Amino acid sequence: MKKAIAIILLAFIAVELFVVFYKIPFGADRMNVARFYLENSPKKLGVANAVTAIVVNFRGFDTLGEVTVLFLASTALGSILFRRREIHTRLSHLRTSVEASVIVRIAGRFLVPLIILLGAYVFIHGHLTPGGGFQGGVIIATGFLFLLLAYRKFTIEHRTITFVESLAGITFAGIGLIGIFLGKTFLENFLPAGKLNDLLSGGIIPLIYIAIGFKVAAELTGILDTVLSISIDVKQKEIESQTEKNE
Amino acid sequence: MVQILTYLGYFLVLLGAIFLFLGGLGIVRLPDIYSRLQAGTKASTLGAMSLILGVGILALRQPGHWNWFIKAIVIIIFIALSNPISSHALARGSYRHKIKPWTKEDIDAYKDYIEHEGIEKESEEIKNE
Repeated sequence: MKKAIAIILLAFIAVELFVVFYKIPFGADRMNVARFYLENSPKKLGVANAVTAIVVNFRGFDTLGEVTVLFLASTALGSILFRRREIHTRLSHLRTSVEASVIVRIAGRFLVPLIILLGAYVFIHGHLTPGGGFQGGVIIATGFLFLLLAYRKFTIEHRTITFVESLAGITFAGIGLIGIFLGKTFLENFLPAGKLNDLLSGGIIPLIYIAIGFKVAAELTGILDTVLSISIDVKQKEIESQTEKNE
Repeated sequence: MVQILTYLGYFLVLLGAIFLFLGGLGIVRLPDIYSRLQAGTKASTLGAMSLILGVGILALRQPGHWNWFIKAIVIIIFIALSNPISSHALARGSYRHKIKPWTKEDIDAYKDYIEHEGIEKESEEIKNE
């Protein structure tokens, strides 16, 4: 009976979609906004990657909001996990008490710099190739995750993370404010556009993407470190209780 | 010369595609995590490496595109390092979580290694670092 209802509903949706799409002629160019973006991002801004031009320039204010959402998420996660540390002791039997193997620890020495280099490459070339600040930041955070998983002695100074994050956020908002001071709108391009496909092109877009890359990397590294520090705390408590029992 | 590069490049791309397909099939069809990891590591590492090398060789046909080849070599080195290491860590983690291998006979060489020398040796190594 349930399956029959599901099939009928699916058929209904399929028919509705077909009716809607049947009326639109195939290959019709009805997206005026998309055409505007595609024509103007190489011409006016000198940006080869149209997605970057939309995210950072045409809808830069939106991106500022997204970065704020990410910041709020990391702050909220940190505060929640920090308070309810006791709950996580119930999960302690799931975690192994063995350190990462020799292979992983040795490999980390030359893989981590490569991963961080790749992340920096992705966010510096955000206006030329697919990718950008968010993606590059996530790649850098995976490099730090590798360090945290492979070396238990590796710790992250949360003050440094907060400093990098705040500096990147201030840079983003400050670049936007410079636009206002120069008599334009918030986050409007005030630098020369440069030649298409050059590394130094696109006006303020590379600067903003570098700031976003640092911000995302710092935030995600902070989240990962908060999550992992709980497991390490749990493990330390376990070892302490075991030694007490043995004594 | 151009013709040789074309044939070689397309052959490597085809080989890589075949190995990637076999790796995907193995992940779907094999019975337990260890044999799936084997399919996902061996077949897909070789497949990705040969596919990327093939693309690099195909790009060599045009003058001035030698930087593609060098980038392909760098990516191949990265895959050759990272893919086996990640699946090693996965296999070790799943063994530590007491996931039984799908075997007819009761062979467990890693268990013997741990019981005889493994844990003490590893913990000593960690202390020495």
